[in-house]
Amino acid sequence: MNSAVITNIQGYSIHDGPGIRTVVFFKGCSLSCQWCANPECISGKPQMGFIEVLCHGCGKCIETCPNNAISIDEDKHRIDYSRCEACGKCGDNCNYGALVKYGDLMTVDEVWDAVKRDKMFYDTSNGGVTVSGGEPLLHAPFVRELFELCRGEQIGACVETCGFVDSDAFLEVIPMTDLFLFDLKHLDSDTHKLYTGHNNDKILKNAAFIIEHGADVVFRQPLIPGVNDSPINIEATAGFLKNLGEKALRLELMPFHRMGRNKYKALDMEYPLGELDIMDFEDLEAVKKAYIDRGISCTISR
Amino acid sequence: MTDINNRLLDRIDELTLSERIQQWKQAVKSSAWKLFADREKWTVASWIETEGEDIQIRRAKLLKKILENIEIRIQDYDVIVGRLTPDVIGCATSFDISGDYIPDLWKDTGELNVTLDANVGLDNESIEILRNSARLFIGKTAPEMTYKAWEQVVGSWVKDTEKAKLKDPTLDTGIFAQCTSVLMWDKILKKGIRSFIDEAQARIDEFIKNQETDINKLYFWKSAIIVCEAAIKHAHRYAALARQMAETETREERKAELLEIVHICEHVPEHPARTFHEALQSMAIIGVCKNYENPMHNNPQWGRGDQYLYSYFINDINNRTITLERAAELLAELIGRWGTQTFVAAESLKESHQINFAINNLMIGGVDRNGVDSSNELSYLFLHVVGLLQLSSPTVGLRWNKGTPDWLMNKAIRTNMVTKGGIPLFENDEVVISHFLEDGIPAKEAREWCGLGCVYPCLPSRAEHYGAEGVAAFNMAAMLHLVLHNGTDINGKLTGIQTGDPREFKGFDDLYSALMEQHKFITHRIFWLAAIARKEQPKHLRLPFLSVMGIEKTMDDGQDLLIPHPDYSMFGISDRAIIDVADSLMVIKKLVFEEKKLTMDELLNTLDNNFEGVRGEEIRQICLAQPKYGNDIDEVDSLAGKISKDSYEIIRSYDNSPFRKYLVAREGLAWHYFGGLGVGALPNGRKALEPLNDGSLSPMRGADKKGPTAVIRSAVKAGFEESYASVLNQKFSSSIVQSEESIDKLVAYTNAFMLNNGSHIQYNMVDTNELRAAKKNPENYRDLIVRIGGFSAYFTQLSPSIQDDVIDRSEHNL
Repeated sequence: MNSAVITNIQGYSIHDGPGIRTVVFFKGCSLSCQWCANPECISGKPQMGFIEVLCHGCGKCIETCPNNAISIDEDKHRIDYSRCEACGKCGDNCNYGALVKYGDLMTVDEVWDAVKRDKMFYDTSNGGVTVSGGEPLLHAPFVRELFELCRGEQIGACVETCGFVDSDAFLEVIPMTDLFLFDLKHLDSDTHKLYTGHNNDKILKNAAFIIEHGADVVFRQPLIPGVNDSPINIEATAGFLKNLGEKALRLELMPFHRMGRNKYKALDMEYPLGELDIMDFEDLEAVKKAYIDRGISCTISR
Repeated sequence: MTDINNRLLDRIDELTLSERIQQWKQAVKSSAWKLFADREKWTVASWIETEGEDIQIRRAKLLKKILENIEIRIQDYDVIVGRLTPDVIGCATSFDISGDYIPDLWKDTGELNVTLDANVGLDNESIEILRNSARLFIGKTAPEMTYKAWEQVVGSWVKDTEKAKLKDPTLDTGIFAQCTSVLMWDKILKKGIRSFIDEAQARIDEFIKNQETDINKLYFWKSAIIVCEAAIKHAHRYAALARQMAETETREERKAELLEIVHICEHVPEHPARTFHEALQSMAIIGVCKNYENPMHNNPQWGRGDQYLYSYFINDINNRTITLERAAELLAELIGRWGTQTFVAAESLKESHQINFAINNLMIGGVDRNGVDSSNELSYLFLHVVGLLQLSSPTVGLRWNKGTPDWLMNKAIRTNMVTKGGIPLFENDEVVISHFLEDGIPAKEAREWCGLGCVYPCLPSRAEHYGAEGVAAFNMAAMLHLVLHNGTDINGKLTGIQTGDPREFKGFDDLYSALMEQHKFITHRIFWLAAIARKEQPKHLRLPFLSVMGIEKTMDDGQDLLIPHPDYSMFGISDRAIIDVADSLMVIKKLVFEEKKLTMDELLNTLDNNFEGVRGEEIRQICLAQPKYGNDIDEVDSLAGKISKDSYEIIRSYDNSPFRKYLVAREGLAWHYFGGLGVGALPNGRKALEPLNDGSLSPMRGADKKGPTAVIRSAVKAGFEESYASVLNQKFSSSIVQSEESIDKLVAYTNAFMLNNGSHIQYNMVDTNELRAAKKNPENYRDLIVRIGGFSAYFTQLSPSIQDDVIDRSEHNL
C-alpha cells in the first residue's frame, strides 16, 4: 500500500472546493514560493517545530532527545536540524505543547479512515476530500488509491496543485478527480522562477493538458501585492485562460496573508515575504473587476 | 407544506426598522432602570380587604385590584398598548409571591440593586410601600413556607446543598411557580376571553344544579370569571385613556392612531381578534395581565408565534388591509416590549442565571399537528425582525425537521450572522417529538411542543412544573467533588454520603459506582423534597389567570394549575456538567488506574492545592493532555454517553406517582458560572471555582482540537438520546460565514448534525471584540479556529501581529 508524509488532515474546510471538505496536506513541494503560507509542507521529510511562546523552559526536551539536537543557550531554545531526525519524542514529552511534529508517514488506509469519518457532512453539502500540501501530485499513486476509495463511497475528490509535476501524474488521477484547483502564480516565466524557484513552462503545459483531457478545473491565483497583481500579469493570465477555451474561465483569487509566519519561526526558517503588507479590500476588488472585464469568471476566496 | 410567496420573502429582506421603532429603541436606551411600587400598593390593599376568604378567590381579587387601579400610560411611540410599568422599561416586585427577597430593601439608602450591575433610585413613598408589603408577606409566602417545611424534614441540608451548588436554588430565586408559561394563544385569539367567562359560568350553573360538593371547584370557576372580567376591564381602561388623549391630540396622524387603539381595545381580548393588529393587541393585554399576576421571571412566552398568528398575517397581507411594513412594525413593537422587560432578581438568581431580563421564548418552524412542516412567510418575518431589533431576548428556536425548507435555514444562518450568533438556535423536531411519544403523549399534542425559557421543550397543553418545586438542575461535577472527598462538599459539609476514601479505590469501577451512589442519594432526596413542596405551595398561592389562559383542562377539572394533576402536570430535571465529569473520570482512569503516572493521593493533593505548588502546573498540563470529549475519541465519548444514560436511569428510577416520572432535559443558559462555584479543581485540568463547560454537549473550553466536525461526531457518538434537550454551543470566527457559499455550508453542517439525531446546536459568531479578548486571554479561546483558503490555524497560536491581521480581516468583511 502507498504511504506519504502528511502534516494535517483538516475537517470543515470551506474554501477548498465545493461543500464541506476535509483537506489532506501532503508534505513536500516541487516549488518553493516566497509567499508560501504552509512552509512546513515544503520539505518532504517530517520536521520538528518549536513554538517559543508556549515554552516554559523546563528543559525536559533536552533530556529526551536521543540525538542531543536540542539546547538552550542564554535562555534561547534551539533545535540543531542537522542532528534532528524528527522522531517526535521531545514533543511527546513536552507538557506545554511547545514542540510539534510536522508530518507523519501515513498509509492510504490511515488517511481514508480519517477522512471518511466526515461522510455525514459531505452528504449534506456535496463536499468531500481535497488533497493539498505541499504538492499532492508528487504522490499521484497514493492520491489515486485514496480517490478510488472515495468514489466507492460517493465522496467527492478534489486536487489542489501547483501544476509543477509530470503530466503522467495528472493522467493517473484525472479519472478519479471531480475538480482540480490549479494554481497560476505568474505568467512571466522569469518572474515565476524568481519567486517560486522554477519556470512556468511545465505548469502552463499541464494546464492545457488537463483541460484537453476533460478535467473540471478552477484556476487559482495567490494574489501577491507587487508580484503578480500588475495589469500586465492580469492581461497575460486572462489571455492564457481564454486561449484554453470555454472550460478554463474560472479563476479564484487567493489574497496574500502572513498567517504562516509563526510556522516559519517555529521551523527557524526565513520568511522571504514576511514583512509584505496584506492587500487592501479595494485593491482586491479592483483586480477582480479587471479579470471580470476581460471575460474571466473571477471570485475572491475569503 | 404551505405555498410560499417568494416575492413576499424578498420584500421582507428589504425591511428596515421603522422610525417609530427606532424612537422606541432610543427611549429604552436612554431610560434608567426603574422600579415601580404601584403593583405592591394595590396588592397590599387587596390582601387586607380579602382576609379570611379562600386562597383561590383572594388571589383572583388581588389581580383584579391591580388591573383596575394600577397606573397605565400610553407612550408617544405606542400603537400597541399594555405594559407592566408606566415607563418604557421598568420592573415590579412581588413580595406576595416570593416574600422578603430583596435584602437591600431594609437599608436606608433609598437605593436598590435590581440588576446585575445597576441600582435604582426610589422615592421615600415607594420605599415605604414596598416595605409595607414586605412586612405583610414576609415569612408567609409559598417558597418561604416550603423552606420551613423542608427544614422540619432535613434540617439545614437544603441550604447546604444550595450553597455547594449541588442543586439550583430555584425557590429562592422567585422563578418559582413557573408552571406552564405558554398560553393558549390560539384559543385566546380565536374565541376571545368572554368565551372563557361563559365556560366558567356554565360550569358553575351545572355545579349548582347538580348540588355538587367539591367546593374548591366552585372557587376555581369563580376565580376564573373574576380574572377574565378584570383583564377585559384593563383593556377598556386603555381604550378610555386613548380616547381622552385623542381629544387633545393635535397631530392628525397620531389622533387617528389613538382612535384606532380605542376601537381595538374595546374589542380585544374580550372578543375574537379579526386582524393581525388586533391579535397582537390581544396578546399584549393578556401578556401584561399574566405578568401582573406574577411579575417574577415569568414572562409571556411567544410559543409558536408563526403558527397561531399566520392566518391573521397572511389574510391581512393578501387582502391588502395591512402593508408589510406596518405588519413588521407591529410585530417588532410586541417582540421589543416583551424582550426588554426586566424584573427584580433575587441575589441567587443573579448568580445562577446571570440575567435580569425576563426570558421569553419564540419558536418558529416545525411540523404541524399532522406532521407536515409548517414554516411560512411569518416564520421568515419573525427572524428578520429579531435580526433588526438586536435584543438579548427573546430566545428564538427553530424546530428543525427533514421538511424544513432551505430558504428558512438560509435565513436562520443569516440571522445568526446579524445577531452574532445564537439566534435562532436549532432544535431537532423529530428527536423532541419522539421523546414525547415515548412518554405516552399523543402525536398531535406532541407536535405542538415549543421552548420554555431557553431550550426546555414543553407542551403548551400541559402544566410544566420544571423548577417550580425546588427542583431544576443537579450539578454532577459537584457530585464528583463529593466522591473525591468522601461525601464532603466544597464548604466542608457532609452533604453527600460517605462513599469511601478514593485512595482506597481498587479500580475505575469503584470510582464510577461511588459517583452513581452520590447521584442517587442527592437526586432522590431532592425529588422527595419536591413532593413536600407540592403539598405546601398551593396552601399559600394560586395562579387563576395563568391557569385559565394556559391549560384547557383546568377549566374542566375546576383546579388551579399550581395543584399538580396526574393528567396534565409535567415534571422535568436537568442533570448538568456531564462532560466535565466524563473528561475528569477519563483522566483518573488513564493516569491513576491504567498508566499509573500518578497515584490517587498525588492527584487529590494536587487538586486540593488547586494545581499550585511544585508540580502543580505540570500535572495540570498532563491532565489537560488526556483524551477529551469533542475530538472523536471513542473511549471518552462513550464514557460521556454512559454517564448520561446512567444518570437518566437514576432519575427515572424515582417513583413520582401518581404523577408522571421526571423527564430529563439538559438545557443550560449561563448556569456553568454558577455551577462552577461549587466545584474544586477537577482532574480534567479545570481550576477550582472556574466555570464549568457551557451547555450539555459542548466540549471543555479549548479542548476540542480537531475542528467542528469532530465535535459533532463526538456528540453524535455519545448520543445523549435519553435527554429531551441538550445544548451544543459551537464557536466560530465570523469569517466562517462571509460568503453566500459559506452560509450554505453552515446550513449543511447543521443538517448533518440533525440528520444524525443531534438534538440541539447553537452558533456563537466570534466578532472582532471577542477576537481581541482571545488575544488577551488565550486560555479561554484555544479552540477558536481561523479558516482561510488553504490555511487554517488556532487563533491563539498566531503571533500578536498576525492576530491583528485576522482581526482586521474579519472587521472588513463583517
